[in-house]
Amino acid sequence: MASLNSALSMAVQSLDAATGAIQVTNNNIANANTPGYVRQVPVFQEAKPGEDNGLSTGSGVVLEGYQSVRDELIQSQIQQETSAQGSANAEQSSLQQIQSTFTTSTQDIGTEMSALFTSISSLSTNASSTSSQTAVLTAGQNLATAFNTASNTLTSQQSGLDAQVTHDVSQINSLTKQIAALNPQIVQLTATGQDGGTLQDQQDQLVLKLSALTSVAITQTSDGVTLSTGNGTALVVGSQSLALQTKTGSNGTQQVLDQNGSNITSSLTGGDLGGTIQTRDTTIPGLLNQLDTLANQFGNAFNSAQKAGFDQSGKAGKDFFTVSSTVAGSAGTIKMAITDPSLIASSSDGSAGSSGNLANFSAVQTTNLPSGQTPTSAYGSLVYNVASLTSNASAESSATTASLLQLNDQLSSVSGVSIDEESTNLITYQQAYEAAARVVTTIQSLFQVTMSMGTASAA
Amino acid sequence: MRVTNTVPDMQYDIQLSQQNLATAQQQVATGLRVNQPSDDPTASASMILSLASSANVDQYTSNVSSVLPQMQTADSAVSSIVTSLNSAITLGSSGATGTSSTTNRQEAATQVQGILSSVISAANTSYAGTYVFGGTASTTPPFVAASTTFTSSQGSAASPLTPTTTLKAGSVTTISDATTGETMTFKAAAGDTIATLQTAVDTAVSNGTLSAGTTATINAGGQLSIATNSSTAGIVVSSNDAALGSMSAVSDTQVANAYAYVGNSSVNSVQVGDSMSVATNVPGSQLFTSGTNVIGSLTGLISALQSGTSAQIGTATTAITTAIESIDQQRIPLDNTISQLNSQESYLSQEKVTLTTQQTSLVGANLADAASNLSQAELDNDAALAAAAKALPQTLLDYLK
Repeated sequence: MASLNSALSMAVQSLDAATGAIQVTNNNIANANTPGYVRQVPVFQEAKPGEDNGLSTGSGVVLEGYQSVRDELIQSQIQQETSAQGSANAEQSSLQQIQSTFTTSTQDIGTEMSALFTSISSLSTNASSTSSQTAVLTAGQNLATAFNTASNTLTSQQSGLDAQVTHDVSQINSLTKQIAALNPQIVQLTATGQDGGTLQDQQDQLVLKLSALTSVAITQTSDGVTLSTGNGTALVVGSQSLALQTKTGSNGTQQVLDQNGSNITSSLTGGDLGGTIQTRDTTIPGLLNQLDTLANQFGNAFNSAQKAGFDQSGKAGKDFFTVSSTVAGSAGTIKMAITDPSLIASSSDGSAGSSGNLANFSAVQTTNLPSGQTPTSAYGSLVYNVASLTSNASAESSATTASLLQLNDQLSSVSGVSIDEESTNLITYQQAYEAAARVVTTIQSLFQVTMSMGTASAA
Repeated sequence: MRVTNTVPDMQYDIQLSQQNLATAQQQVATGLRVNQPSDDPTASASMILSLASSANVDQYTSNVSSVLPQMQTADSAVSSIVTSLNSAITLGSSGATGTSSTTNRQEAATQVQGILSSVISAANTSYAGTYVFGGTASTTPPFVAASTTFTSSQGSAASPLTPTTTLKAGSVTTISDATTGETMTFKAAAGDTIATLQTAVDTAVSNGTLSAGTTATINAGGQLSIATNSSTAGIVVSSNDAALGSMSAVSDTQVANAYAYVGNSSVNSVQVGDSMSVATNVPGSQLFTSGTNVIGSLTGLISALQSGTSAQIGTATTAITTAIESIDQQRIPLDNTISQLNSQESYLSQEKVTLTTQQTSLVGANLADAASNLSQAELDNDAALAAAAKALPQTLLDYLK
């Protein structure tokens, strides 16, 4: 038979459940703006039914616990997209700085190259004019400086990126350590049937930060989350984190080694580290090679022209530029070989007034270098490459930003806290609490009625 | 879809509309659609080529401007020479008549000498330090007074030069002959000696480059002496050989009214278009000594007037007429070049306009488009901000009182 006592305990359960729900709502509202917070919902369940004279009756409500509303699929998509964004941003920021060197200005290689040819042409109108000869030397010097500057910009970007590799690796190590430390705690919590809750949120947030540095493969195991790099190098296994190391390689740049000392630099993709390594080891060397080839072939073509003629004193021309014997490093080291204006080999017959050999200099502008392009076209190709790489990186960066926004919208539609929703929940649970409290007062008055039953009949 | 937080989307929209606004503003402010290479990689690469072409066209234009006055200077010098020669013909014709007295002829000879000086001065015309008729040897006057004998500075009675004295390989010795109007150039090869030079002089005499009687000998003072036995014309010798030292004329051997051409026959050319070069000089050898020796014909007339017969004066006068015809023939390329330069100048200014138009279409912003883009971007930005301002503060709590 149902008793007032059991009715009272059912009402207390209701009060507890409503308080718990208000507690969850309160926490949701408090963390509405916390990054990585996943909203929680109270899990109510009907209490086990009671038996009353053969009738099964409800026994109230039980607050089973709190459940975080997660979507692992979207979460992992966000992690991947974050890696892609990290990589694109790293490339874009380097290339933006590089392209300023190749922007048409008064000092870029194209302008200086053109100025050298016009100074040669101007000299041909009066081959023995010292001022015109000096102008050619100045233009040559300016072009050499423009090559040096462009080369320096590329190599200093490269060394900046090199420092970034070390920085990224140390950040990765710090993150994997924290992620590994959370694994046993989460495992312990979930073993008791509870939700990972706050700890899980923290771990997801750390994995997201890690994704921004390098792309990681994520596997859930009974020991918690297992993380590895794209090529399978383990980073986190259970409570263990496997630190990456850096070491100066044979080419002078920082190489990334795994726990066992194997070089995994070239296999790292995605994230800031992936983008940094890609730019440092592929993009910039490609551009440098193009620049060095141009400087080397242009310098040699000019030297050949110079050697075909005679200087103001009738002597066979000597080198105009000092050019490195190897292509690598040519742009960084090219410089003027002559400083005396009278040493320009403008003469084709040995007489000071002859400008016949200047045609050989001018021909360099319209003749294909060994690379198969004229110097101006070769520089145009270089600019095109820098521009299209920059433009692609910018487009990739914008695209990943937009895509991340979209994914975050999706995630927040599942896991995000809606203040409006929490407000209505609050009203709901408030009402539930008030109703349960009313039941308690009702039962209380029933108890009084019951207790005063004898008194009333006596009276 | 459950919408929880609109802030990130609003922020993104505002950011995007502000980027568009900044881009539109930059395009209007700079007038350029492409402000950095990544704005349009293809246009940026094409721009490099176009700018190089522009710089070339500017330089071609400047070349035309600097070459044209030089050619005009040369042309007016040639005109003044022709005028001078015509006056010489007049003097010669009157001197050739039988009635002309010796005194008259001497006076005419003196006047022709004056004409010769002015012709030499015109032939040695320089423009901006360049002797316009010297070929590519344009840093010194091309027509030099000739002497009969030149000696080397090296060699003395105590330590004489000998035929076996070795010359420095690569050194150049030139002998310019006033009579033939030609120059013998001797470039010493390794192992060449003074004897080799002597043989070369003999060969030049036998093939007519130098007049008969020109010799290279070692004189009593032990010096190399290069001399001619002609009393009416002379030679000019120069050398940069260290073994010989500089060659200088022996004093009192200068020949009156004789001038040798020490320039060369090379032609300089200047590029005034991508595939157009013009010769900027007509060498004096071609203009004044090829076919008819103009200077020689005046020298001939002077000596005919001084001591010749009427017939000889007549012949000398006819020689000058031939010389004028020869000059008129030779100056044609000069005149052609001047008119080519004039037409090239207008072509280049047209070309410059074409290139500028090309560059504007490559990287320039269409101002009308840019301006309307700007006002559109302003409108979009306003709308994004207004929408955010309206939507962001709204929550259910505003209505729960």
